Amino acid sequence: MKTLLTIRENSYAWVTSALQGLAPLLLPICNKPFVEFLVDFAVLAGSREIRLLSDGPLQEVEQYCEDGSRWGVQMSYAHIKESDDHQTIFEKNRRFCNDSKVMVIDGFVFVGYDKKNDYRDLFNSMPDGTVASCTTGSIRLFTVSESNMANNDETPVSLTPIDSVESYYDLSMHILRHESSRYVLPGYGSEPDSYVGRNVTISKSAEIIKPVSIGNNVQILAGSVIGPDAVIGSNVIIDRKSRITESIVLDNTYIGEELDVEHKMANRNTLISPQGAVSIAMEDPHLLTGIKDTARGIGNLLRTIVHTLTAIVLILLLVIPFILITPILAVQGKWKSSRKTCYDHTCKGVISLPDVSIERSGPLSAIAFALSLDRLPTLFRVVGGKLSLIGNAPIAAEEKNLSPPAATPGYRPAVFSYAEAENWPVGGSDAAIVERFYAIHSNPLQDIGLTMKSLINRFHDTTTA
Amino acid sequence: MIIKETKLDNITIVAPVGTLDASTASLLNENKVLSETSATVVLDLSQVDFLDSSGLGALVGIARKKREKKADMVLTSMNDNVRKVFEITQAFQLFDVYDDARSAAEHCRTKTASQ
Repeated sequence: MKTLLTIRENSYAWVTSALQGLAPLLLPICNKPFVEFLVDFAVLAGSREIRLLSDGPLQEVEQYCEDGSRWGVQMSYAHIKESDDHQTIFEKNRRFCNDSKVMVIDGFVFVGYDKKNDYRDLFNSMPDGTVASCTTGSIRLFTVSESNMANNDETPVSLTPIDSVESYYDLSMHILRHESSRYVLPGYGSEPDSYVGRNVTISKSAEIIKPVSIGNNVQILAGSVIGPDAVIGSNVIIDRKSRITESIVLDNTYIGEELDVEHKMANRNTLISPQGAVSIAMEDPHLLTGIKDTARGIGNLLRTIVHTLTAIVLILLLVIPFILITPILAVQGKWKSSRKTCYDHTCKGVISLPDVSIERSGPLSAIAFALSLDRLPTLFRVVGGKLSLIGNAPIAAEEKNLSPPAATPGYRPAVFSYAEAENWPVGGSDAAIVERFYAIHSNPLQDIGLTMKSLINRFHDTTTA
Repeated sequence: MIIKETKLDNITIVAPVGTLDASTASLLNENKVLSETSATVVLDLSQVDFLDSSGLGALVGIARKKREKKADMVLTSMNDNVRKVFEITQAFQLFDVYDDARSAAEHCRTKTASQ
């Protein structure tokens, strides 16, 4: 038996919007990542090879699961298109399926099983067809040679859709209260219904009331009360005299002093009510805040310094030609300047940027274009820390963008774009591909090289124009 | 980089071998089956051990040209290094990717027959 897990991006889009900073496929359910429940179930059903398919990013889940050897299975990963149906998916993975019985778990659904049961014989003896289904997903069995369909009156497993903050909260609480013994949950516990991870410091005067699940690297300070029904994620600090009941505190969250969190979810600086997913972002870091990843902060700082220094050098080089040439072009009407509003690097705020176009007729305007004088006004924004020197072409805020910046990983609006450096069409959907490539692969020094490449490309563009 | 060409059920399978980067992307662009004919082809990436933005640009460019000619280029047998580049750039949304050359050729044949 082999297992195909097909999880489409639109089925977990709510996670991206409601619980920012979390990888949807690693969404913790009682401190165990969602995908691990599926892998456990596939193992119980007798699968030794599992392939995870998605039309969205798989990088984080791949880093977590690796080759699956820790579960004694072989895991592989592949991508599907949004429009691919079951048959196409099957065809695209024919080598993997290779005449064996295949269990397809489709959708962002929680499979309710019991670790004490052995599903191997049951699933192998079942005919092809749907084993279980719910509104947002299903489990099906396929064999290439067989065509008889299942007609099961009793389903050995249950499926619960995870399609909203409320359903996620309810599922987590239900497992913690009633079904924790059915799954392998992470953490140690000398008593049932109590799961405590590694490197957890609990003050003598803190009180833990079952059922609770506490992740790794957690500090619970004096006078705090955790539980009943509390899920505390990893890398969390609960400060003095705080009380967490019927709540989920997600990873990397600091809960301030004397704070009562009841029937809520806390994710970094955001407090979310499960009903209706109403959320409040706390401005006061003493109440609720995220615990920052310092390594990323240092990397960004280095990049900012390199970009700023390079921008200063470029400003010094371009300022004299700018003073000499642009007044003439302005008088000739070949220098057209306006302003445009674009998304900033946070993807939430906007910045107003000068938008200069040079009418490329005549030698003077050709020189101005080749020297990138139209970019000089925006170079000052690099020095001011509002733009990067090279990154993504700024996305206009007023446009109905097909690809909003929030959907672009590592979006950094910049004076020069990676697409320009690589001579890809700027602004098209293809340009987004190369910008995503460099969002992952670039480093500050390479950024300088690519900026030079952009400048040289503009020079060639002028000579061939 | 070497480019091998084979036929499977009248569908040409083009298999570049080696690194697909700025220095070799032009070889792919100059390949007649990929750039000049209006036939749907399978590009077998099993022996491509490295792909960078220029190589990806070449693939996107060839696919665009094929689609302008009402044909297509289907990819198959990506290794993990290549698949990761497709993932971070989300270029997989532009291509049909198969794990097996035979299935890819079958898809091409069906597509050609339906036109």
